[in-house]
Amino acid sequence: MFSLHNQLELRKVTISSLITCIYLPSIITVISYKGILYSVGNGSSCYVLALIFFAEILKSFYLNSSNDVHGKRNKVNKNKAGDILRGFVFMLCVKFAFFIGIILFGAPVLECHEETLMLSSLLTLLTIFPLILHTGVETSMQLLFGVKNYGRDTVIEMLVNNALMTICGAWLGAVVIPLDWNTPWQKWPIPCYLGAIGGFLLSNVLTVLKVSLMSGATKYPILNILVQLLNGCQISK
Amino acid sequence: MKEKWNFILYLVWFSYLVLSAVLMFGHGFLLSRKTLSDVTECLPLDKFGCDGRENSTVRGSCKEEEKIQRIISVPGGSLACVPKQSRVVFLLVDALRYDFTEYDPRIEKPLPYQNRLPILHEILERRPERARLYRFMADPPTTTLQRVKALATGSLPTFIDASSNFAAMELQEDNIIDQVTKNKGHAVLLGDDTWARLLPKRWLRSHAMYSFHTWDLDTVDTEVDSKIFNELRKDDWNLLVAHYLGVDHAGHRYGPNHPEMTRKLDETNNRLRKVIDMLPPDVLLFVVGDHGMTETDSHDWNDSDGDHGGESKAERTAAFFAYRGAGLAGSGADALTGREVQQTDLAPTLSAALGRPPPAPSLGNLLLPVLPKSSRSHTLLHLTNNLKQITQYMIRYGEESQQVSLDRLAHLINSTREQLDKAASIETDEELDKYVADVRILVDNIRNVFREVWVEFDSLSMLRALLLLLLAIFFNWLITEGLPMERLPHVFASTFVPTGLIAMAVCIGVCYTAYYFEFLEDLEHAIILSTGLISAGITCVLVIMHWDGISQRWYEGRSQTYERFARAALVASAAVLVSNSYIIEEGAGLSFLSMSVLALMAWNIGTFRSLLLWIGCGAVLAGSRLYRGCREEQGDCWTAGAGVPTGQASRPALVLALGSVAGVVAISRRHVGWRGYGVVVAGLFVCSHWAVGWGSLGSPGRARLLARSAWLVLATMFALVWRREGRGATLPLMVCCLLLYVANTLVLGAAYAPSAALAIVVGFLALNLVSLLKNEGSSKFSLTTRCNSSVACMWALLACYQFYGTGHHATLGHVRWAPAFHAGDPNYLDIGPPITASLISLELFGTPFMFGAAVPLLALWGRNGAAAVGPRTQLAAVFSLCLKFMLCFAIRVFACAISATIHCRHLMIWGVFTPKLLFESGACAAALLGGVLGAALAAWHLPPQHRNS
Repeated sequence: MFSLHNQLELRKVTISSLITCIYLPSIITVISYKGILYSVGNGSSCYVLALIFFAEILKSFYLNSSNDVHGKRNKVNKNKAGDILRGFVFMLCVKFAFFIGIILFGAPVLECHEETLMLSSLLTLLTIFPLILHTGVETSMQLLFGVKNYGRDTVIEMLVNNALMTICGAWLGAVVIPLDWNTPWQKWPIPCYLGAIGGFLLSNVLTVLKVSLMSGATKYPILNILVQLLNGCQISK
Repeated sequence: MKEKWNFILYLVWFSYLVLSAVLMFGHGFLLSRKTLSDVTECLPLDKFGCDGRENSTVRGSCKEEEKIQRIISVPGGSLACVPKQSRVVFLLVDALRYDFTEYDPRIEKPLPYQNRLPILHEILERRPERARLYRFMADPPTTTLQRVKALATGSLPTFIDASSNFAAMELQEDNIIDQVTKNKGHAVLLGDDTWARLLPKRWLRSHAMYSFHTWDLDTVDTEVDSKIFNELRKDDWNLLVAHYLGVDHAGHRYGPNHPEMTRKLDETNNRLRKVIDMLPPDVLLFVVGDHGMTETDSHDWNDSDGDHGGESKAERTAAFFAYRGAGLAGSGADALTGREVQQTDLAPTLSAALGRPPPAPSLGNLLLPVLPKSSRSHTLLHLTNNLKQITQYMIRYGEESQQVSLDRLAHLINSTREQLDKAASIETDEELDKYVADVRILVDNIRNVFREVWVEFDSLSMLRALLLLLLAIFFNWLITEGLPMERLPHVFASTFVPTGLIAMAVCIGVCYTAYYFEFLEDLEHAIILSTGLISAGITCVLVIMHWDGISQRWYEGRSQTYERFARAALVASAAVLVSNSYIIEEGAGLSFLSMSVLALMAWNIGTFRSLLLWIGCGAVLAGSRLYRGCREEQGDCWTAGAGVPTGQASRPALVLALGSVAGVVAISRRHVGWRGYGVVVAGLFVCSHWAVGWGSLGSPGRARLLARSAWLVLATMFALVWRREGRGATLPLMVCCLLLYVANTLVLGAAYAPSAALAIVVGFLALNLVSLLKNEGSSKFSLTTRCNSSVACMWALLACYQFYGTGHHATLGHVRWAPAFHAGDPNYLDIGPPITASLISLELFGTPFMFGAAVPLLALWGRNGAAAVGPRTQLAAVFSLCLKFMLCFAIRVFACAISATIHCRHLMIWGVFTPKLLFESGACAAALLGGVLGAALAAWHLPPQHRNS
């Protein structure tokens, strides 16, 4: 999937995935050591979202850093405030869409709005937010509605893949809810919340793994089999 | 088109295979017992004359002793009450295993459950004449509900205790509590509400608490403790039942090898000490465990320590401790600690202690060593009462059911009569002892005969049925998924189906001949087995003949993500049926899965319209959650009272129901031509039926009349659906679905009618979504997309969900009986029972039936549907979709049967898995029937072949 033509992009993808692989587990570890892992559904755990928010912004600075070194900066700077505003409005819309979708899938309709909102905010942050940061509102909208194909852009491909894996993780997380184990982590929305984070993390791990395998495959061609295998696991077409 | 009816015949054939295998499985698996409503009566001694006969003409007084002697010498006489009564405290410690009660001071390091009840040991050592400790052997299923039934009736409960009214959980048989209350005695209940639900309104005082929170170790116990000591001070009761749950819950949660178990057992020890201290000397105390629990080092595949439900020794061995301050009868071997006694023995013993005859269905022995000392004549009277009651029960059971062969029953009855005749001649204590032993052997014999038919599964026919199901599913899966679409018409135009049918007829003929000449015993079993095998053989031959086409199609075929996902979702929905939690929450699970499948389909289409359709589906499914209700195991929801099915619809519900019917009918009537008027008239009758019959001002008579007119209109319209108009099959199929919808609303009643509207709306939306599915290139390709198994899987998931969406649950308690009577009581008619049965099944499985009838629409609906191609291809498409849809249901039933087989000794087998199997088979039968109906309708209405296609 990823091509080796653009070494720079490949390196950026790898490093940003590595950063994710480090910061996300550390957040989870810290809050689970604090014993507040199971309160992630409450509004009081907003700081997790805030941390992810800032981490993603920092990551996107890195991803975008050398993208448009040649003079595009002025254009961006001109309507930055408007861009940010539109980005936020768009994210709110997406968050609301997630909220509706989650309820349609079976979340309680009249209760637990706080929990559902937290989950949809997390999903928005992990799926759409990096895309907006990287490509801007219009392009991500076009990507979302299938108008534009992301073609051979490695970074966007990685971001879309992350988003899809996140949603799959949240979907899979719901599987454990009906079990009668009466454990604290079966409360809505903790399994989905953790599932989404897990999916995002797994996607990043796979990216790192694949890039390292690909670079290794130039020396040892046998590793290509593994690369093919990983490509088969890719969700995005 | 000679293959036209071959298609339908093949569908019928497949349905027969599946249903016959399910039937065979049910015969082997569903242990049933006939419940008799008989009650044992006894007459007080003063009703008897001195010659031992009631209403005797012999005047004069005689001593009680002589009188009893005379009564015993009349073997056919009625039962006489024993004058001596005592009060009984019955402490049920749930899951008190026998080895919890043992005490061995030599153990150096006792396990958490060992040596925790020293009080029992102390008493047995110091006052051996006052206390007894026995092994109390339970019969499987060792679940609390069945055990409580067994303790109260003295019988061997099965899953289906078939009685006249098996909707209610209330115990229909004679039992000790009824015996107590009938004699103007009083019973008090503390603890587990299983008792209160089995035996409502019999208690003087009842403090029952919800018992399904298996993770809560203390609530019920502390609550009982706060009441029991006050109750012990009072003397207005004859029987005090206290049911402690803590030990059982500790076992479920932590297993026996856990400090929590130690804590609960220590609590029990202190409680027993206090109770024994407070107990008046003439009151009997029985401390009983209803079942044991599994060992920690069990070789189970999961860590089910401390569970129960099965038939392992550890689960079956409970403890039985009896204590009476003034001493107990019996001595020697009978009183030995650790003797094995059966749980069925408790009911006759308890009622003897209370001065009552044994309950009518009891098959137990009298345990004399735990009763107060009594004179020889009294003992004999107890024994003869017991024998008389058992004889009576055997005679009545033989009249009502043929489960036990008459020869055996007659033999047993004769031997009990012999024993009864002997009773009069007993003079000395030695003779009495011998007599007691004889009676015990006899009763054990009788019990074992009944145990064979009530407790043991017929594993051979279960396995054979599973094999037949597997064969049918496997080969038909190969045919639908493998056989290329182009070949289907040719295959079915050949002699394939007639050959199969003739082969089956030959099988049946051979079986019947063999039965006639008495080579075979079980005709039905043989027919099902042979026809199933021969069908498998014939389909196998077909598959082999067309293997080239199958392998080529598989080699070329590449399915898209959503197709693979849909199949995986269906298999997942079947696979999770082995887990009780998923069965309990199945409504939510099915809606989740079908929403996911629909989402991927909408994603595949990728237009705004598809997104809207998906949101519509989601909103409708979310709306149907209002009607879903909950079952008992869903603790919080159930205790909140949401699970109780409402009888009369409230005013808003009525308005909603009227509105939903009016809306569906008004919108749909314009699109179905002149037939719309029929649907409108039927809808009007339904609405007026509700409106006229509603509330206290309603007139039930007129409402019934209106309901009957609605049925008449529906039947007429259904007949008219078969009128050929030559305009394709879509319209008649739609009308058929609408008629089924109206019929559904009629049986669901006003309270649940909107859910049927939601079902038809979600079906319509999904239909439109399917017709948008992208097809690559030519119209032929479109047909393969439309007849894809993923579409059938999605449709089957929706159909399964609608069972829950219309407010049902897979428990017997959720079956609503009102629909049988909405158009008057059918029992006054000659054909009453079939009408009742079909109305109830329509109410339960109406929506799967409707979805089944709508399956051909999936292929025919929309502009790029199959309507564009030739009728021959259309029919093949309809057939293949119907078969796939049926296969989906067959797979689900197969999974249910497998899970029932795996879990046949599971704790929840009778509460969760077996009802699920029953209802899934019902839904499967309805879907198969609906599929056949839809396919037949489509075949009937397709225009004859004009040109070659």
